[in-house]
Amino acid sequence: MTSEHADDVAEDYKRALEDLTMNSRYEISNLTVIARENTEHALAISEALKSHIKQTSSQKKLPAFYVLDSVVKNVGTPYTIFLSRGLYSTFMEAYALVDNSVRRKMDEMLKTWKEPVPGALDTRPVFPRDVTSPIENALIKARTSAIQAHQEHTRSQQQILGRGRPGPSPAPYRETPTPPNTYRQPPPPAQGYNSGYPPQQYPPPTNGQHYSNQPNGHQPYGLPPRPPSQQYPQQTASAPSWQKSQLQQGYSAPENSIDVLNSDIANLITVSKADFAQNPWDGSIQTRLKALLDLQTILQSQKLPPDQIALIKIQVAQLSEASKATPKAAPKPPTPVAAAPSQPPQQNSLSSLLGPGALAALLARQSATPQPTPPTQIRSPQIAPQAPYNPPPPAASSTPVPDPNSLLERLRAAGMLPGAPVSSTPTPLSSLPANISSGFPPPFMNTPPMPTRTPLGEIPNDVVLKTTSLKIPRPHLIASLYEKLGAPCTQCGRRFQSDAEGKKKKQAHMDWHFRVHQRMAEAEKRGQHRSWYVDELDWIRSRELEGDQNATDGDNTNGLGGASSSVASKPKLQYLPVPDDPAHASSLCPICQEKFEMKWLDEAQEFVWMDAKNVGERIYHASCYAEATNDVSNAQIRRGTPEPVLGKRKAEDEHIALRSKIKTESYW
Amino acid sequence: MNIPGLGQATPAATFSAPTIQAAIAVHDLQANSEWRFEVAYGQSIEVKILSGSAEIFGTELAINHTYTFRGTKSSIFTWHGCRIEVSGACEEYMAEETPMVTYVNTHFALEKLRDDASQTGGEGPRVLIVGPNNAGKTSLVKLLTSYAIRMGRQPMVINADSRESLLSIPGSVTATPFASILDVEQGWGSSPTSGPSPVPVKLPLCYYYGLPSPEDNIKLYKPILTRLALAAANRLADDPVIKATGMIIDTPGIISQGKGGYDLISHIVSEFAVNTILVLGSERLHSEMMRRFSTYRTSLGQTITLVKLDKSGGCVDRDETFLQQMQEAAIKEYFFGDPPKRTLSPHTQQVGFDDITVYKIQECMFPPPKHDLKAPNSMPASAINTSFLPGGEEESEQLGLYEKIEPSSMMLHCLLAVMYASTRDSHETIRDASVMGFVYVAEVDEKRKRLKILAPLNTKITDRPMVWGSWPETTSTFQTPLKNMSALYRTICFDAVYNS
Repeated sequence: MTSEHADDVAEDYKRALEDLTMNSRYEISNLTVIARENTEHALAISEALKSHIKQTSSQKKLPAFYVLDSVVKNVGTPYTIFLSRGLYSTFMEAYALVDNSVRRKMDEMLKTWKEPVPGALDTRPVFPRDVTSPIENALIKARTSAIQAHQEHTRSQQQILGRGRPGPSPAPYRETPTPPNTYRQPPPPAQGYNSGYPPQQYPPPTNGQHYSNQPNGHQPYGLPPRPPSQQYPQQTASAPSWQKSQLQQGYSAPENSIDVLNSDIANLITVSKADFAQNPWDGSIQTRLKALLDLQTILQSQKLPPDQIALIKIQVAQLSEASKATPKAAPKPPTPVAAAPSQPPQQNSLSSLLGPGALAALLARQSATPQPTPPTQIRSPQIAPQAPYNPPPPAASSTPVPDPNSLLERLRAAGMLPGAPVSSTPTPLSSLPANISSGFPPPFMNTPPMPTRTPLGEIPNDVVLKTTSLKIPRPHLIASLYEKLGAPCTQCGRRFQSDAEGKKKKQAHMDWHFRVHQRMAEAEKRGQHRSWYVDELDWIRSRELEGDQNATDGDNTNGLGGASSSVASKPKLQYLPVPDDPAHASSLCPICQEKFEMKWLDEAQEFVWMDAKNVGERIYHASCYAEATNDVSNAQIRRGTPEPVLGKRKAEDEHIALRSKIKTESYW
Repeated sequence: MNIPGLGQATPAATFSAPTIQAAIAVHDLQANSEWRFEVAYGQSIEVKILSGSAEIFGTELAINHTYTFRGTKSSIFTWHGCRIEVSGACEEYMAEETPMVTYVNTHFALEKLRDDASQTGGEGPRVLIVGPNNAGKTSLVKLLTSYAIRMGRQPMVINADSRESLLSIPGSVTATPFASILDVEQGWGSSPTSGPSPVPVKLPLCYYYGLPSPEDNIKLYKPILTRLALAAANRLADDPVIKATGMIIDTPGIISQGKGGYDLISHIVSEFAVNTILVLGSERLHSEMMRRFSTYRTSLGQTITLVKLDKSGGCVDRDETFLQQMQEAAIKEYFFGDPPKRTLSPHTQQVGFDDITVYKIQECMFPPPKHDLKAPNSMPASAINTSFLPGGEEESEQLGLYEKIEPSSMMLHCLLAVMYASTRDSHETIRDASVMGFVYVAEVDEKRKRLKILAPLNTKITDRPMVWGSWPETTSTFQTPLKNMSALYRTICFDAVYNS
């Protein structure tokens, strides 16, 4: 009965899906609800959904994916399990068929799959990493290949290629024994390029590969054929190891600190990959990525002593800071410098990452290990047998013959990739012919780096100030008020990003909480009071700082200055410590016969008399003394009337309106 | 008014509605639902979010942090569902229908405009919120402000409603840039004090209108708003973050309720270069706004986007008693802080009648009856007010802004605004000056011609003009505790100095 019923449900679901022609929130949430209410038929529904995605026309694929997305996020298991089966092929096949704007949406969606379900307490990602990372890797590879192909193509066909998309053309890179993969060839030189390109730093590769049939693309440089940078083999080699190592990581038994470190490195790799995807021209990112992958391999293939792990940890932590600090600059052509160092590849990349000395011990260890993991071993294409997805990683990168099933081929077959080149840079390189780079819409450009604050622009925000538009629920936007902002502070709920900058902010924020708590009790004892409001000028000049910093030195606000702590033009305070001598403790200002204003000054860490000045044996109000001696510069301190910014008041006013003789109730 | 912690017993407010007596209750909130609660003045409840996510007027609450609420009508909303623990007595219920989707979408629509603004270096949206009394204007302002803060923005919040205060005392109108989280327990937060603050302080710029309704003295209200707009515009011009975020302007409900009020809306729209108007809950007002502004161009040549939003079912009518209590609470907080979180110690001083300069705000020749604030539609006063709007120069001279007066026992228990101006300044200059602070007249000794005043801190204020308005109305309950307060304060300070 169940199975028949399940068929019915699947059939109904399929029909409902077929009606889904556009991105309608209502229908999608409706379909989600149906899925939720029929979890007993989850398998049937999942299959229906998957086959629908595969069969439907490319315009309808995105809405269908949104249904999938909505179901896994809102309903979760068992759909997550069923839908993750074959997700790779579902996703990639669709990706090959849709146009660029849809790809961008799919990229975004894929990104959210790597994060926890919005609002859920469960911190696991929507789909397990071993489901999403093959897709991600395949996309990165396709992207890099496309770049490379583009460059080759550009170079060889610059004259022929007039405009637009050419038909399939023999991609020059196929002539090389090296697979396309992630190899990134230097683009045509920018001006002044040659001068920085001396024929030195290209030692013969140490790993025995041959580069003799390097295409002649380099000839325009005016340089003899030369071995390429080490990045070349390295990239090639490391590509399969990504998947391998990540899979290994996914399946390995937990090993506490190493696991933490591994996951840190994995995170860094993810970040670097995203960076790389955005900035494929940036050699330093590539180097870093490579180095990280090597490091990951080392860590996973060997047992290292704790002290070395600790060392690596520190370096990794620093690196993650640094990588966050790297601005997302506009992509720039790589400079040969990035390829310069002449050490063996792995060591080279590791040193570039961690500094030459830092890893000496590590490397020594590596060579001393009975069964080291030499670089060559990494390169051997071991497609992890336990790969849960199908088809196997499309890399095919170790085979020189283009795999007809490879992603790139499929993309090309689908007409989504021109014969060879696709520029994936957001901004076309100036050295490329404008018509070429603009002729190819960049389909991959939008893989945003995960941890940084996502500007709203990247989340589809179609809200306009119209009653109808405002009434449509957009659950995906709510995320930008919650999980997209990072984790909340336990004290006040303010959220901080998990990147380095966010962590720093959070640290400062927690310090602030701590300081405030500490000072609250103390302040309670000595009494505090409301400050005067600031005047127009100070208010206009003041700037809201990071919020909590504003209040940190609230104690310094002197009476008349109001909250001058946040005011840019804070006059220098003049004060004296309250005299210990009781005879002086009650002294009056000889000029105005008034007492001194006593307050706690944080800067001085003691009680002080504000606006007080010791002249000879006597204590005066600094302002009184200044007035009496015509010392105008010091008189600023007692200013209450500011420089008129909007009004027309004169500075003398405050001098004329001298201290009238009020008797304040005496407290002290 | 009672000063907490100073011996005066607080008579517990009486309840007619069902209450939970100090028991601990746990509520499960479904996603997209709202828990609405009212805590009477003098009572308090503690709320803790056990799991899930929750927000109060857009400010996210921390998990497992105890929040204490006193004297408030508020609500906790959840987008994802949550479980809350409540201890203490309050009126409460759960609501599943809220206009939150519309409100949050409004935020995102504004956010898109802000994105555009920050990319082009242009100005963010200047949003005016209009609607009748108790339509939830201030709550919406708070919500939009909090959301903007969470996205890393710094909205400039303008409060043009002198009946309720924002970071100040009622009677004032303020402009405040918000960069830090709101104080959900207190409402908005606190203006700077001399001590640390558990929630970052906010820095308001404050002007004193001193009357409850804009129509009580429209000749005073309009120039003050003009001045406020000028100062705010100056700040925006200097401050790129605020500029890209824009303004959110709260208005008195009364101006949404009649023709004179509509003219005031036009005034605000032009002074603040408003380009977005959100109309809350009134169909009639919406169509009136359409009529006025559909072809309107701002000074920057922009059109005005006009949207009608639904009123939340959670909006409750606040009776005069509640408003009175709110007002007293705001005054008390200004001088004495928000115990037990923060206790402030104001300062009393004696001044002679001749030492101070006091200006009394002139009220409209046809003042609306004080206790009939809610029914302005039928009032002839508003019509008469507006009749001399366009060319009322002569009349304004007759009416005057202020009248210089000799202190008298009439001033007892009143609030005076101390202005950033000189005693010799003209009335216009004083009107345009911002407020330095407020003092409370605690005692008037007509025989000895002396006043005892309570000021937030001990500095000389006699060289500044003080403005006396009839709003906020105050009561006499400051008196007794004051003496205690002074004595206490003296002891504390003495100890602090000589024992440290």
